[in-house]
Amino acid sequence: QEAAKYDKKVMVLDFVTPTPQGNSWGLGGTCVNVGCIPKKLMHQAALLGQALQDSRKFGWQFTEEVKHNWMTMTESVQNYIGSLNWGYRVTLRDTKVTYENAYGEFVGPHTIKATNKKGVEKLYTAERFLIATGERPRYLGIPGDKEYCISSDDLFSLPYCPGKTLVVGASYVALECAGFLAGLGLDVTVMVRSILLRGFDQDMANKIGEYMKEHGVNFIREFVPIKVEQVEEGSPGRLKVTAKSTKGSQIIEEEYNTVLLAIGRDPCTRKIGLDKVGVIINEKTGKIPVNDEEQTNVPYIYAVGDILQDKLELTPVAIQAGRLLVQRLYAGATAKCDYVNVPTTVFTPLEYGACGYSEETAVEKFGEENIEVYHNHFWPLEWTVPSRDNNKCYAKIICNIQDNERVIGFHVLGPNAGEVTQGFAAAIKCGMTKEQLDSTVGIHPVCAEV
Amino acid sequence: MGWEEMQVRGYPEFVQTAQRYHGRPVFALFCGDKDAEGRSWCPDCVTAEPVVRKELHNLPDESVFIYCLVGDRAYWKDPNNEFRKNLKLTGVPTLLKYGTPQKLVEEECFKAELVRMLFTED
Repeated sequence: QEAAKYDKKVMVLDFVTPTPQGNSWGLGGTCVNVGCIPKKLMHQAALLGQALQDSRKFGWQFTEEVKHNWMTMTESVQNYIGSLNWGYRVTLRDTKVTYENAYGEFVGPHTIKATNKKGVEKLYTAERFLIATGERPRYLGIPGDKEYCISSDDLFSLPYCPGKTLVVGASYVALECAGFLAGLGLDVTVMVRSILLRGFDQDMANKIGEYMKEHGVNFIREFVPIKVEQVEEGSPGRLKVTAKSTKGSQIIEEEYNTVLLAIGRDPCTRKIGLDKVGVIINEKTGKIPVNDEEQTNVPYIYAVGDILQDKLELTPVAIQAGRLLVQRLYAGATAKCDYVNVPTTVFTPLEYGACGYSEETAVEKFGEENIEVYHNHFWPLEWTVPSRDNNKCYAKIICNIQDNERVIGFHVLGPNAGEVTQGFAAAIKCGMTKEQLDSTVGIHPVCAEV
Repeated sequence: MGWEEMQVRGYPEFVQTAQRYHGRPVFALFCGDKDAEGRSWCPDCVTAEPVVRKELHNLPDESVFIYCLVGDRAYWKDPNNEFRKNLKLTGVPTLLKYGTPQKLVEEECFKAELVRMLFTED
């Protein structure tokens, strides 16, 4: 859309290779269809369940037992996503961007072959290309994984309630999904190979895990599945999972209705003909290295988003990088995408917002003696009346003593963490120091005042 | 078989007609009532109708095109009218593909390209 603003002739090729379960979706990419959007909506569904429980203490009276209907929720979510898919198509058409629902791959210099779902092929040439093909969930490579397991690609449109679920993985995808499934009343177990939320502040990761455990999510630590077998067909059916300890030879077996794999995502860069045009990719990870202007080693080919090497895998980052790139190419702008101090939020049952360094990384980079950590537990006012946990919400900031106690890391664990973190991210970008933070008067009574 | 047009007025008639054609693609254009001279109180509907009619030949075979007059201006302005409540319409004119989230609202209906996209693409 940005390029079309500058009167460039633009085409978008978007194609979703169906999942092993046969699932596919419309225009908009992962975030809209099988990521952020449905995730947050289902997380909200779970939070509302909790709110209903709390509401009794605030005086609301209802005698019926409160139950959750998976199909009703999923239908609403999918309808909303459908309206987004349609909205994008209208906008592209309106801004004169040509959209083809076809699989694109390079066949030669400046040339791409597009194959639609009926197998019809067309060739297109262009002055420049932008690759933003994103990633897809990784499978375990064990017997029964593709036949019987689902991934996040399938979960948000699952046409039946998943029932008793085993979530394999310890990524934010795994924990967020396990979190809302449990919040909807399902029996959920998370199987973790080693640590939770690799790459995130481990102090915070452990607190998240503890909270989830205390709120009904089972954890099986230091085990990996080695086999998935079908006991009974159905929607859902019954699956038997065999798992082996990572620390010995212990084997365990358990039955679940659904097995959700969330062990990582792999870039879609291996089957798009990059070798035909000489674009170098990291052979091991599939990621594409680019310079700080999102340019690959081939000057007319650019890349943005999750497929980039050493860059954050976040929707707003990809969007920002894409827009700025186009503005540099066609509007004479010079601004480059700033990948530092990007805020994020993990929407686990107890939400976690962060911006900047984790405690470990700060210690590693600046030395323990040069950083100061200020922290606090807090008890949200809204949790007091319904007697919810009084020592679980937590906030900490990490300051660089050598640089005027500049705030280099912000972490908060509590309700609405995303909303809280956004403002602080802007402050950190402006170089806020501890003194400035202290001199900012708090809003009362809100969690953020801590 | 081509396509056919049904003209209805008011919400109950619309629903009855749409349900009768369940299984076939149903498209609907919602406009404000017309006066004795055949002019609608809704100026945007006056602009949109010819644009939409010009694209009707693109409708897939077996389609049903429902031309629906929603009511007078006062009825439409009521935030609780049935079209707003049940069909979630937010404005007139609205052109939609029944049973899907695909729709065009107000000025979007003036654009032949968008109307054609609604009629012909999945």
